[in-house]
Amino acid sequence: MALIETHNLSKQYRTADKAPTLAGTIRHFLRRRYRTVEAVKDVSFSIERGEMVGFLGPNGAGKTTCLKMLTGLICPTSGTASVAGHTPFRREHPFLRQITLVMGQKQQLIWDLPPADSFRINAAVYELSDDVLKTRVGELAEMLSLSTQLSQPVRKLSLGERMKAELLAALLHRPDVLFLDEPTLGLDVNAQAAVREFLRDYNRRFGATVLLTSHYMADITALCQRILLIHKGQVIYDGALDRIVQRFAPYREVKIELANVEGQADFTRYGEVLAQDGRVVTLMIQRRNLTETVATLMRELELADLTITDPPVEQIIGRIFTKGNAA
Amino acid sequence: MKRTLRKARLLLGVTYAEMMEYRAELYLWALSGIMPFILMGLWAKAAGETPMGMPPVDFVRYFLAVFVVRQMTMVWVVWDFEYDVVNGQLSPRLLHPLNPVWRYVASHVGERFSRIPFVTALMGIFFLLYPKAWWVPAPGTLALAILAMLVAFIMRFVMQYAFAMLAFWTERANAIEDLWFTLYLFLSGYIAPLEMFPPAVREATLYTPFPYLVYVPAKLLAGQPVPALTTGFLVTLAWGLVFLALQQVLWRTGLRRYSAMGA
Amino acid sequence: MHGEHYVPEPMPSLNGSRYAVAWRRFWLSSLAAEAEYRLNFILATTNSLLALAGSIFGLHLFFRTGYRLGGWSWEEALLVMGVFTLLDGFASALLNPNLNRIVSHIRDGTMDFILLKPMDSQFWVSARHFSLWGVPNVLFGLITLGYAGKKLGFGWTEWAQGSLPVALAVLILYSLWFALAATSVWFVKIYNVTFVLRSFLEAGRFPISAFPQPSRFFFTFILPVAFLTTVPAESMLGRTGAGNVAWAGVTAILLLLLSRWFWRFSLRFYTSASS
Repeated sequence: MALIETHNLSKQYRTADKAPTLAGTIRHFLRRRYRTVEAVKDVSFSIERGEMVGFLGPNGAGKTTCLKMLTGLICPTSGTASVAGHTPFRREHPFLRQITLVMGQKQQLIWDLPPADSFRINAAVYELSDDVLKTRVGELAEMLSLSTQLSQPVRKLSLGERMKAELLAALLHRPDVLFLDEPTLGLDVNAQAAVREFLRDYNRRFGATVLLTSHYMADITALCQRILLIHKGQVIYDGALDRIVQRFAPYREVKIELANVEGQADFTRYGEVLAQDGRVVTLMIQRRNLTETVATLMRELELADLTITDPPVEQIIGRIFTKGNAA
Repeated sequence: MKRTLRKARLLLGVTYAEMMEYRAELYLWALSGIMPFILMGLWAKAAGETPMGMPPVDFVRYFLAVFVVRQMTMVWVVWDFEYDVVNGQLSPRLLHPLNPVWRYVASHVGERFSRIPFVTALMGIFFLLYPKAWWVPAPGTLALAILAMLVAFIMRFVMQYAFAMLAFWTERANAIEDLWFTLYLFLSGYIAPLEMFPPAVREATLYTPFPYLVYVPAKLLAGQPVPALTTGFLVTLAWGLVFLALQQVLWRTGLRRYSAMGA
Repeated sequence: MHGEHYVPEPMPSLNGSRYAVAWRRFWLSSLAAEAEYRLNFILATTNSLLALAGSIFGLHLFFRTGYRLGGWSWEEALLVMGVFTLLDGFASALLNPNLNRIVSHIRDGTMDFILLKPMDSQFWVSARHFSLWGVPNVLFGLITLGYAGKKLGFGWTEWAQGSLPVALAVLILYSLWFALAATSVWFVKIYNVTFVLRSFLEAGRFPISAFPQPSRFFFTFILPVAFLTTVPAESMLGRTGAGNVAWAGVTAILLLLLSRWFWRFSLRFYTSASS
């Protein structure tokens, strides 16, 4: 059985709208009109032990709601979820000991004290002896390249250092399943890279399963072989990152360099013109017409150079989300 | 002058709307001013059983008046100011062509108006339950009582704002205010009308600013005689000037310190 | 270890229970955090001292004219004041710093971390912090009790009679406070409603018989202030039968269960509404 499995997982919220006027307030109080919002709709997937999977989607797509249902923080409206053989929402202690949740915009460390004090508290909660605590802090601190920072009050740490210390605190009990919600939010490029490097290292070393959400594409491309694309509460793609290109981009980019500037033609009849800069023109051409169009181009124009590439993943995903449908 | 008035009106309008957003909290805050009613019960029962120099109904009216005075003279500027200093919100306000104090004044005044309906309703219920306590003060004393409440509010604000200045040096300016508030609780007439104090203590208390913050306005509002109003006014004025001067000195030195730290 | 499946190492057991160890570390860390602000403690002690002097002065005003407050003598009424001060200290040391944080845990979403710990969440939110600010009041409460008890010629029996009702009072106070603090799951804005409770509890400074009939009813059956201070003082004085203490016990247990049930109930809303 897969480590994480969901079947038709859904979450609906009821919200009431209120007009900003006094009359609106009174109506809101007397007779509320509810509207049902479907935050997550029939999500089914399964994840094997040791996988690193990325949840990708624009803000409000339902990524965080999914994550919270998988950790047991919110109760699904319908459908089932199972994580490491447990039903998350029961929040049984054996389940909680196997998972961790790291949230980029929330922190659990004690603000006025060094991180080491917070670690001691977590150690007590997860029943780690002082020796185990010491080895694990040492090991993780080395992986995160943290040292003296651990004895400074949290409020004096930089954002990147704080995030690393948060990760350390969240991983002290050596969980099997890591849920990460925007772990690199607000960090600078170097700190982002360090966090990524650490997560990959951790996954390799301990065989942990990692499920992360991020809206930084770089996090996902660096870490995850597999992605779950979420849009308006639904999974619209589940699979390998490189295959997404073929699935969602039925076109390729063809860059041509004309031999001379004269005799410029109307390029739109070959395909959509993405850019035109002097003699260099970039065209977007449907995959199925590719051979034919390239042949036409070579026949009709005098070319100095021609290259065919896949469009960048960011661009494809951006297109999917703005178009708003699963092609 | 016209521009100042316009500014004041705008500021008040905004703070009033803001306060209405927090109505539920306001009512809870008002509800937490229940102490005068607790003491009212105790003193009325005491006066009914042993002669206390005041009939029970006078105690009832006095404590009801104390409740109103408390509601109308609530001040919390030290917490707001401290919050603004700690979170760096004071800095943008210093750039406005308006002394930041007026923002705090406006929020206090705006809040006052949103509190009036609640206080009125509560008094209505009280008189329905206990019609014997009903009274109407003479127009002259009522005017005087309102003036005394205004003075009490200004005094509370000035004193607390002076303590608020300590926020430039410590994160615990409110602890000093807490200390002062403890004195206020026991010496202002909040726990008992000053007539109940031993004479020596009463005499001494009259030279502190406290009785003029609760006892005097409450007595006037309850339509009961107040001894030596003029002396009281002079004492209040003296204390007011002392705290105003203190506040000015602390504001100047504090501001220099604040800007030196680059906040 | 690359790529190989991770086998958890056996957990070495700790001495004593997990909760006891956690509790000790909770308090040590909050003491350490507060040690950053030393001036606070001095100010708090001064304030407690002033407040005690003020309360005794306020109580004295009733007795000045020869009135026996609710039929209680001066020393007897001091016992009530002593229990009140003690409970007030308990509230400042434990209830205030812990339970008033529930509102910010909910507003900032840090409640998530607490719910994901393999530990009872009510224990965590109730025991996580400890504030030195309440200690002076606990001490002053004990001193007041000691003074009044000595004047009344108390021996070990009197103190023993009083200890169970005081313990029950602590439980009652905790349960009431906790249940009210838990309502912040619904009313999250700036503050929680426990300060309203605190202001009503002020009535506990005085023996319940000093109040007129309607408020006596209110403070016994609606808000059990009577069980907080009057019943313990009466037990010390040997004035109350086992019946009243039994009632206090029943109230305490019921309220404790209620607070527990209510916490679970309110968390259901937290966990189905947050996003």
